[in-house]
Amino acid sequence: MLKNYLKIAIAVLRRRKFFTFISLFGISFTLTILMVLTAFIDKVIGDNYPDKKRDRLLYINRIEQKGKDDMTSGPLSYYFLSHYTGMMKTPVKVAISSGFSGTNTYVNNKKIAVNYKYTNADYWDVMDYDFTEGKPFNKQQVDNADHVAIISEDMKKQYFGDAGPVVGKYIEADNVNYRVLGVVKNVPLTSYMFFSDIYLPYTVSKADYKGKGYGGGYMGVLMGASKDDVPKMQAEYENLMKRVPVESKNYQHLYSHANTFVRSYVDTGNEDSSGVFIVITAISIFVFIFMLLPTLNLVNINITRIMERSSEIGVRKAFGASSQTLVYQFIVENLILTLLGGIIGTLLSAIALCGINSVNPIANLQLSINFTVLFIALLVCLVFGFLSGVYPAWRMSKLNVVTALKG
Amino acid sequence: MFKHLFKLIWNKKKQNFLLMTEMLVSFMVLFAVFTLMVYYYDNYKKPMGFKYQDVWVINISNSYQTKNTDSLDLYYETLRKTIKALPQVKELSFVSGNVPFSKRINQSGLTFKGKHIDHLNNFTAEDSYKETMNLGVLEGRWYNKSDAVSKYKLVVIDADLKEATFGKEPAVGKLLGNDDDKNKMKVIGVIQTIKRNGDYMTAGPGFYFRADTGSFRWLDKILVRVSPGADAAFEGKLYKTMAGYMKNSNIEIEHLTNKLKDANYFAVIPMIVLSIVSCFLVINVALGLFGVLWYNINKRKGEIGLRRAIGASGNSVSSQLVMESMILATLSLIIGSFLLYNFRC
Repeated sequence: MLKNYLKIAIAVLRRRKFFTFISLFGISFTLTILMVLTAFIDKVIGDNYPDKKRDRLLYINRIEQKGKDDMTSGPLSYYFLSHYTGMMKTPVKVAISSGFSGTNTYVNNKKIAVNYKYTNADYWDVMDYDFTEGKPFNKQQVDNADHVAIISEDMKKQYFGDAGPVVGKYIEADNVNYRVLGVVKNVPLTSYMFFSDIYLPYTVSKADYKGKGYGGGYMGVLMGASKDDVPKMQAEYENLMKRVPVESKNYQHLYSHANTFVRSYVDTGNEDSSGVFIVITAISIFVFIFMLLPTLNLVNINITRIMERSSEIGVRKAFGASSQTLVYQFIVENLILTLLGGIIGTLLSAIALCGINSVNPIANLQLSINFTVLFIALLVCLVFGFLSGVYPAWRMSKLNVVTALKG
Repeated sequence: MFKHLFKLIWNKKKQNFLLMTEMLVSFMVLFAVFTLMVYYYDNYKKPMGFKYQDVWVINISNSYQTKNTDSLDLYYETLRKTIKALPQVKELSFVSGNVPFSKRINQSGLTFKGKHIDHLNNFTAEDSYKETMNLGVLEGRWYNKSDAVSKYKLVVIDADLKEATFGKEPAVGKLLGNDDDKNKMKVIGVIQTIKRNGDYMTAGPGFYFRADTGSFRWLDKILVRVSPGADAAFEGKLYKTMAGYMKNSNIEIEHLTNKLKDANYFAVIPMIVLSIVSCFLVINVALGLFGVLWYNINKRKGEIGLRRAIGASGNSVSSQLVMESMILATLSLIIGSFLLYNFRC
């Protein structure tokens, strides 16, 4: 049965090549754009370099204090993080690091912009950076406030050029000389929690990290012993935060959460507006409006085609075909068309992704097609095919046999 | 003639309904994209408000810590003299963190003569700010040394704020402040609004306060105007001077031209993406409509043949068909405009 439908479908497609072209054009381009968007989101959220142990990790990015008229929200101080996470029993290790900031260095009459980040020793155990050379600094070097640094591959190329191994050499940044201990693979800017050009021990920070205020420039990552410990860790941190007093009379409430990766990535910093909700709503609205036009278009074209074939339908009905059979046949034909469009769309998006990668708008962000993307593409195709086929099929089944035969 | 056409369209209302819906949605999409482009273009046409070429900004992460205001002032005056003495430095000014093209925001609100003004930018700068930035002074003057002692608190406002508060009247000499404020500020000058969010986004109203002796405690940026040939070697020297003087601070030097490029990035990229996407959508719809209309017309061969046989000219037939489509399009446009007018934000 299916083979017959396939044959009929291909015959119909070849009959009116222009209509076929329009439908395929619409489907394939919609699919290409959706796939590029999916690849982008997947890379930004799915790429788990350097936090490869993501399913055992929780991220603490913000502390918010709220009063009747006042509100303050921002990253935490080193003191707050180390003091309170030190009290917790569930985490095995806690990584504490600052957000990245910019400075300059001038070498060979050339200016290099350097992004730097302060970390503690456990940061390198919790994260899994790929070291192309050397190794990270350890607890003793942090305690001694040694002037050592881990640099990224890009930084190595910019500062040292194409020299060989640079471990042991000195790099000057922020007017201070640091000894290079290791070189790590680049992190794209979209992983803003872990991105930097050089990583330094927090003890060499020029800012006062010992201050007992709650706000500062640091964020923490809690590592549990296993995936099952994550809910326990989250609850423990929540309970701990309930007991922390507010800093001044202007505030009544204090909020700080240990979140999973996706939640912390889109965190708006405001307790009342959930970042995840905003992002998902925005993306859904965009996708809906974007898919609305091509779907309407396909519905129109399909109705036109059916009207064209009204004599054929009339003959089949006269011979006793039920409406259900005809509807079924038509939807299958439509699905074949959309799947064909899907294949073309996949090819086009592969070309588009290659093009985007070569332009390299965001450094070190290589987009690729993986199974998630393909799966979403297939899903979109099927949804398209179904949506654009249902209404015309229903219209067709209502055709009066006599009117259809008359033409 | 029109009544006849309307009747024809009404006869095929179900089919035409779909066509009209498609045209309606594409019209809304195109309208949204064009509104955005017009908004960007409007902002682009406005003057920048200052000369940003050859202006660098020095970010100081930790200000000098001392409780004594006098030693604080002495420290920063010495720093200013040292920098000014460098050969390629023309002028400099200490400023608050919200320099042009930065992401720092320092805003408040104002209720003046019953009108509520939101997102009002607060800037703090020194007397030398005018020379450093090459400001466009529209009315009155910028600050000078004589303003150190004054009966009123003085303020310089920008053109956007002046329009929002005083309209077309001259603002110099008038008092500005919240309606319930007993100590209003006196306006001594109006300057051109600085497009601090880049070429394409609105800057919003702002007013400028004069830095006083205690301000050095929290002013953490320095704007420096350098001579046009200043290169990386000179920048390195400036950097070393700053870092050597402020040993407990991280120093970063940025060029305003680069910061402007980054700020514009945020406006240009979404616009490019939206244009590409809507272009594709419109082509799609156009092709679809083309196909559907072609088929419909083909079906009416009998009717057209009959009209020609009776004696209608070719032009008359084609104009009738074109008019039918135009009416459909116009109806969609009217409905679309109506919807947009009701939902305008």
